[in-house]
Amino acid sequence: MIETKEVIIEKTNTWEEGKAKNITFIVTEDCQLQCKYCYLVGKNNLHKMDFETARKSIDYLLQDCNYFSETSVILDFIGGEPFIEIDLIDKICDYFKIRAYETDHPSFNSYRFSFSTNGLLYNDPKVQKFIAKNAAHLSIQITIDGTKEKHNLQRVYPGGKGSYDQVVKNVPLWISQFPNASTKVTIAREDLPFVKDSVIHLWNLGIKEVNINVVFEDVWEPGDDALFEEQLVLLADEIIENKYYENFTCSFFSTQIGLPYKENMNWCGAGKMLAIDHEGNFFPCNRFVNYSLQNREQLLIGDNQKGINQNRLRPFLTLDMFTQSSPECVSCEVATGCAWCQGANYDYADSSTIFQRATYLCLMHKARVRANNYFWNKLEKKLQKTLRTLP
Amino acid sequence: MVLKYLLVLLSDSSASFCYYPSQKAEIPKGIAVANSHKKDNAFHISDEKPTEIYYNEKQHLISLDHLKKTVVFALKNNLKVNFLYPHFLLDEAYTKVIEEVEHIKIIPFDAKIFNEDAILIIDSKDFPTTLDLENYTHQNFILKLQKKDLKKLDTMILALLAKSARINLVLMDVENYEEKEYAIYEKQLEKITRNLIQYQNQNAIPELNFLTDRIDLNQMNNCQAGIQHLTIAPNGKMYLCPAFYYENPSEDLGEIKNEIFIKNSRLLELNYAPICRICDAYQCKRCVYLNKKLTLEINTPSSQQCITSHIERDASRRILEKLQKMHPDFNPQITIPQLNYRDPFEIVKGNPQKIATLNHP
Ligand code: SF4
Ligand code: SF4
Ligand code: SF4
Repeated sequence: MIETKEVIIEKTNTWEEGKAKNITFIVTEDCQLQCKYCYLVGKNNLHKMDFETARKSIDYLLQDCNYFSETSVILDFIGGEPFIEIDLIDKICDYFKIRAYETDHPSFNSYRFSFSTNGLLYNDPKVQKFIAKNAAHLSIQITIDGTKEKHNLQRVYPGGKGSYDQVVKNVPLWISQFPNASTKVTIAREDLPFVKDSVIHLWNLGIKEVNINVVFEDVWEPGDDALFEEQLVLLADEIIENKYYENFTCSFFSTQIGLPYKENMNWCGAGKMLAIDHEGNFFPCNRFVNYSLQNREQLLIGDNQKGINQNRLRPFLTLDMFTQSSPECVSCEVATGCAWCQGANYDYADSSTIFQRATYLCLMHKARVRANNYFWNKLEKKLQKTLRTLP
Repeated sequence: MVLKYLLVLLSDSSASFCYYPSQKAEIPKGIAVANSHKKDNAFHISDEKPTEIYYNEKQHLISLDHLKKTVVFALKNNLKVNFLYPHFLLDEAYTKVIEEVEHIKIIPFDAKIFNEDAILIIDSKDFPTTLDLENYTHQNFILKLQKKDLKKLDTMILALLAKSARINLVLMDVENYEEKEYAIYEKQLEKITRNLIQYQNQNAIPELNFLTDRIDLNQMNNCQAGIQHLTIAPNGKMYLCPAFYYENPSEDLGEIKNEIFIKNSRLLELNYAPICRICDAYQCKRCVYLNKKLTLEINTPSSQQCITSHIERDASRRILEKLQKMHPDFNPQITIPQLNYRDPFEIVKGNPQKIATLNHP
């Protein structure tokens, strides 16, 4: 781990990470945008949650202390675009607080409401009223993809017009309300030339924490890895030259990636978290809902009438790295940080299983590892300090 | 995959010998869902009951041609064959082909085909009124125990003891077992154990898969569908086991051929089953069909499978203890430690095995 205070480039832990139960309400599948990389293949404006469904789900979860044994909770609201349903969300949040109090649930003293939004409605009076009301218990992530050019490549209105200007005008308000706010950036193929500029641009907008990923889907072509690596090396140079490492974080660079596996852990939290759709069906995460799957049927783990199906939860809670990985991955020298998404694995697997890891990111990960090594070696040299523990 | 034998469903109405329901009154479920555009919709996710349609049994017999191909395949590959019989007699042409290969006949008791070497399937609902056991002395039985008959298990086993060489118990509807059923099962095994110990003073105890198998085992002895055996259905196609055929006939493994490709077949192996690979309930069937049906994953058992198998394991532990006390040289190589859990899931959950202890084969 990093010992030096002047380097904070690594992502910090999020609130109660690993300790809180994460419950996602898919309040609507509707969105004002039609982002090109959006994994919600079946996005539509027909499905939206009603309050009764949310109420029943909360009632069920608060009384199932076997499943919901955590003492903290994050209620996550996603869409589509969640703020389209701000009235409903407000009602759900109020109901949760009242019921958690009435049932004396430990999470009453430790809860968060969390949002991933496209930011278009951020300054809407109703949204602002909600923020004022719940300020101490909120985390809101507005998605901006980087420079105007990069953002507008992907994040467009149905007619094709980019959404950058409408989003960025809300950023100052957002940063003033959440000074430690972070954003989540997704890199598609066409975005590769803009990676460096985008990260720097977001930092310059005042967003200190940039969480960034390449898309998990099977889209990468030969040569993309080289382009990616080149961008990350340029970014590394710029970070080191301008000392961005002192004030900003970017999830691309980490002291923990590019090492052989020591642990046999699963990568993602599907199954420990829970997503609820408009019908009150329970899912291991929203990536297992029909609208995010291209090839397979959705995978339910229960509903708000019958509760959690414990048997269907068992694979998720016992899934480990070894069982889903090929021998090549298990013995890979640069394996750590090579991400996978359980939902994408399930969608792409040869048979209907969550136990087959998709490895479309192999070359991209290896490129990232090389750039990451470059970054840390250079930074260590500059600061004359050892920042990593190498094997 | 080291294929050792084939199971052949001679007819769609062959009696079920295992966890799947008998199909006498049902058409295979998958036919109704075969039009969906999505892949692998077997088992997903509808809990619909199959449509009840009675059909003419003889129409659903395997063709003579398919039967011949199966037998030739078995002969070429040193495979034994288990033939699953329907409730009616087969024509001579069929019998002739069957007799060409080393085999075992698995026959429903109520078909009344007397055969000493066959395995007879008894359904607990026929017990004892319609069962005439008089002529049997050293028979292999499969007892399919309906949940509602669980309380009568001890009586049934006692009635069969003197008639049997081996009894394989199959807990039907095990997916609906809850604490109440577990308690009854435990009690029943206790009662049977008591009788068994007395019985063994005078006679050799027949093998009972659920009680005595474990006292002779020091490694897993599971069903091994898809590894040691494959099934040929009446349509001439291959399946992991008969249950998979009935569940969704369109999910076949192709025609009978030498190169058999099973997608993600590694998940059938113990090494790729995170819960089972730490377990020592070696007698457990580890039924991949129930796994798929209840947890949606062929490598992950349901709590019902694990708990009932551990109730059996614990009863076996007591038997072994008693036998080793009575005969100090009895199976000295076998130990069955007492456990403080009855479902290995509790041990594995959130606590995956260390990589160093795992190897790709
Ligand atoms: S996908 Fe590639 S980089 Fe990732 S662990 Fe496997 S071999 Fe290593
Ligand atoms: S997988 Fe094996 S144990 Fe399960 S139903 Fe099929 S044959 Fe029986
Ligand atoms: S008892 Fe459970 S863990 Fe053990 S072999 Fe049977 S199914 Fe697997």
